[in-house]
Amino acid sequence: MMRAGPSQEDVRRHNLGTLLRFVHLRGPASRATLAESLGLNRSTIMALTADLTAAGLVREELPRGPGRRAGRPSLVVRPESTRVYVLAFEVGVDRLVIARVGLGGVVLDRREASRTRGSDPAEIVGTLAAGARSLVRKSERDAVCVGAALGFPGTVRRADDAIRFGPNLDIGDLPLGDALSRRLGLGLPVSVCNDANLGALAEHARGAGVGCDNLIYLHGDVGVGGGIIAHGRLLGGDEGYGGEIGHMVVNPGGRPCACGSRGCLEAEVGERTLLAHADRAEAHGQSGRDAVRAVVDAADRGDIVAREALHRVGTWLGFGVANLVNVLNPGLVVFGGTLRDIYLGAAAQIRSVLATGALAAPREKVRLRTAALGDDTTLVGAAEFAFAEVLADPIQVLARLRAPEDSSVH
Amino acid sequence: MTAGDAPGEPVYDTPRDPEAGWADCASWAVSAADTLAIQDRSARDGGVARWEPLGMSVTPVLDAPVLDLRGIDKSFGSVKVLRDVAFTARAGEVTALVGDNGAGKTTLVKCIGGIHAPDAGEYRFAGAPVRIGSPRDAAALGIEVVHQDLALCENLDIVENLFLGRERRRGLALDEDAMEEMARTTLSGLSVRTMGSVRRSVSTLSGGQRQTVAIARAVLWDSRVVVLDEPSAALGVAQTQQVLEIVRRLADRGLAVVLISHNMNDVFAVSDRIAVLYLGRMVAHVRTGDVTHRQIVELVTSGASGDLGLRR
Repeated sequence: MMRAGPSQEDVRRHNLGTLLRFVHLRGPASRATLAESLGLNRSTIMALTADLTAAGLVREELPRGPGRRAGRPSLVVRPESTRVYVLAFEVGVDRLVIARVGLGGVVLDRREASRTRGSDPAEIVGTLAAGARSLVRKSERDAVCVGAALGFPGTVRRADDAIRFGPNLDIGDLPLGDALSRRLGLGLPVSVCNDANLGALAEHARGAGVGCDNLIYLHGDVGVGGGIIAHGRLLGGDEGYGGEIGHMVVNPGGRPCACGSRGCLEAEVGERTLLAHADRAEAHGQSGRDAVRAVVDAADRGDIVAREALHRVGTWLGFGVANLVNVLNPGLVVFGGTLRDIYLGAAAQIRSVLATGALAAPREKVRLRTAALGDDTTLVGAAEFAFAEVLADPIQVLARLRAPEDSSVH
Repeated sequence: MTAGDAPGEPVYDTPRDPEAGWADCASWAVSAADTLAIQDRSARDGGVARWEPLGMSVTPVLDAPVLDLRGIDKSFGSVKVLRDVAFTARAGEVTALVGDNGAGKTTLVKCIGGIHAPDAGEYRFAGAPVRIGSPRDAAALGIEVVHQDLALCENLDIVENLFLGRERRRGLALDEDAMEEMARTTLSGLSVRTMGSVRRSVSTLSGGQRQTVAIARAVLWDSRVVVLDEPSAALGVAQTQQVLEIVRRLADRGLAVVLISHNMNDVFAVSDRIAVLYLGRMVAHVRTGDVTHRQIVELVTSGASGDLGLRR
């Protein structure tokens, strides 16, 4: 079936979004650079920038620093980072993080709260809402919040953001996004996404995966999560549950997993297993990242129990990566969260298993990297997710948000 | 479905003009590929458009090695140290150089850096034979060596160390502003947030920070090859991890990096190729993805592993 070509208005909206996305992801750029990079002529760039400036999304100024070129300098287009922002939430098993992230990806302000395991999940909403409100209060008077998103360690249905399963952080039937949105009272929905999926988006947009459109992100927290970017997009599957790499069975009949199965990747390489192998379960009064790092540190100092634990975990992680490489042929595999430390501490074992366990052809060019965004992969991903709407249709979204009288009618 | 049909992976053979090309677009959704990558029209491989990340300086990855040593012999008096050694390093890759104590790693590095002159053999750089008579010759080509002792001056600050002997001048005076700016840019490019002021004295820095300053000094000069001799030898785990990530980032930016290390985990964590020296001979030069830890350990200790290494 033929479909009608895009209208003038569609083209303009697309170009506005493309330009805004460029300065959002790549930073301030001169009109000349924009014209060259986006393949548009300079008068079009000028018109688009004028629209975005009028909407308060970007501003133009003379380039900073001494200009070396002759002639009139090309104006630099900068995102209005302090005036246009999103709220990004990370719910972890051990910590809660809230950030106000400005257009351009600048973290303007953040709050972090530690969470004790097993504490009442109903408190999460209250803590997040209070933190977010204090961030919003400190923003500039004319600043506008254009979106909010939350990363959660569990499987989330795309259609209604319902959390279907969170083995390490059970919140029951609580509609986290709706509840938080109501408590915030900003007239904005709060999207809920799987944390590792957001991590994949973040590393693809701003981290180790820039320029690589087929990548796999593996995230270690208490459990193991994953996000798959294929052809530049997140692979969500039919209902958005895709990427649950942690529950790929690598060792049939192996250790029991919180999901009810046995020998899942999470059960063989997760935090509890590493600590159990290293005889450190509960003993040192540490948990979470610190405990994992302590094992890697001990192994580096020559502790044979810690080395053996890392070796065993590395073996299963290697099998997991080998399966992924065979099935998906990624250009890049990124290890984030505690898996960064485990990768760097057990790389020899992981890559040895990969060398013998994966097919030669897909193995040949795959790059293994650690997350460039460190511990903020989920947070950065949540921010990018929250910006998606304004980047798709900048002027309309801004106009709607700047006229709260009309939009607050539910 | 072929790759070209996939909505997220358009193949543009004609120069891209979003306005003119719209009517032909099969899909309305703006894929990340559309917006995150642009076509590098100048660099095409056999008619296939190459996609490069925006905003990063991209050095074309050559198929030929940047550094190519062949048939290197080196003796100190009657002591033969290197015998017919071939060694290559490629842009965009980390080449790990491993070997037992006394296998000749440091001697080979000193030959690369121009400290020792090889007795025989050929030294090729970027495809052409060159004569390296001194470290200055090597530096002029863009070959920098970070030695184990780092060679930093304790009493000077970070900027002074970075530019020692190669200070920027403005007229008769030193151009302190430009040097500070370059130092900041280079250190932030290595993603170093924990350094504080670039005017801190080196004597106040930790081991990992000193290693970073030494690496920054090596990459400040548009270097093309950086050789790191045991960069994590005296560091704790957290600092070692940071240095490894810096090493990887240098190669991902297009440099040829040579990493000497005793730690097999470090080697497997960041290297693309592994070169094994055994008693002054290069017994294997393999892709890291094709070998196992056990094979490399066997090559290091006995010079052979299965069908790799020396023939028996």
